Amino acid sequence: MVTKKARVIHSRVGPLHVEQERLILFPKGLLGFETQRDFALVRLQEDSAFFLLQSCTDPQLGLMVADPYVYLPDYRIKISTAEQELLRLKTIREAVVLVTVTIPPGKPEDAVLNLVGPLVVNIRLRRGLQIPQNQLRHPPRLHLAGDRPEDESLPCKRQ
Amino acid sequence: MLILTRKAGESLYLGDTIKVTVLKVQGNQVKLGFDIPEELTVYREEVYLRIKEENLMAAQATKQDFFMATELWSRKKHE
Repeated sequence: MVTKKARVIHSRVGPLHVEQERLILFPKGLLGFETQRDFALVRLQEDSAFFLLQSCTDPQLGLMVADPYVYLPDYRIKISTAEQELLRLKTIREAVVLVTVTIPPGKPEDAVLNLVGPLVVNIRLRRGLQIPQNQLRHPPRLHLAGDRPEDESLPCKRQ
Repeated sequence: MLILTRKAGESLYLGDTIKVTVLKVQGNQVKLGFDIPEELTVYREEVYLRIKEENLMAAQATKQDFFMATELWSRKKHE
């Protein structure tokens, strides 16, 4: 039975049935897409850390995003008081963090996680905000394939 | 663009609530201090532009690369 709360969204990968609880309001849009406020967060494949963040109003606009903690467990970001208020965050447990993914054309194996502009979502209220990080403890990007050959910009781990 | 000249130690107000002070001028660097309301966010322009660019790139991946990457990196995760 299709629940009455599901909604069909025209996405860049075709029509999708999206449940209400997967819809997120970005009151300030995303950087570069400030006029787009309503998005759906869709998992393209079961068990994957990758998602499609699809605009509900522009079928052409869908960004690839990922859960950074699967690949970078110690990823830390800073959320200012102003941003916490915009997100109406009561506790940090309400916050889910995603990062955008860049895929060089034709080279999905060279996918990169962008760490400077995380998307923080209040899961209780389904309210999202992209939060630029003025200071970051990590290199700005994580090459997923680069876990064996050490990225030259990674901080040296030896004591 | 409004252009004002200030010396180190001098301030200016943007509206009633935002105070910008020139703290120090050294060579080609200016150190600025901001007294701003808590609800205001301040970002460095280059960070802002970088994220804008990254968002555009994340939205440009082809449908095929999208699915290939999902497939590929989901498998990797479980290995």
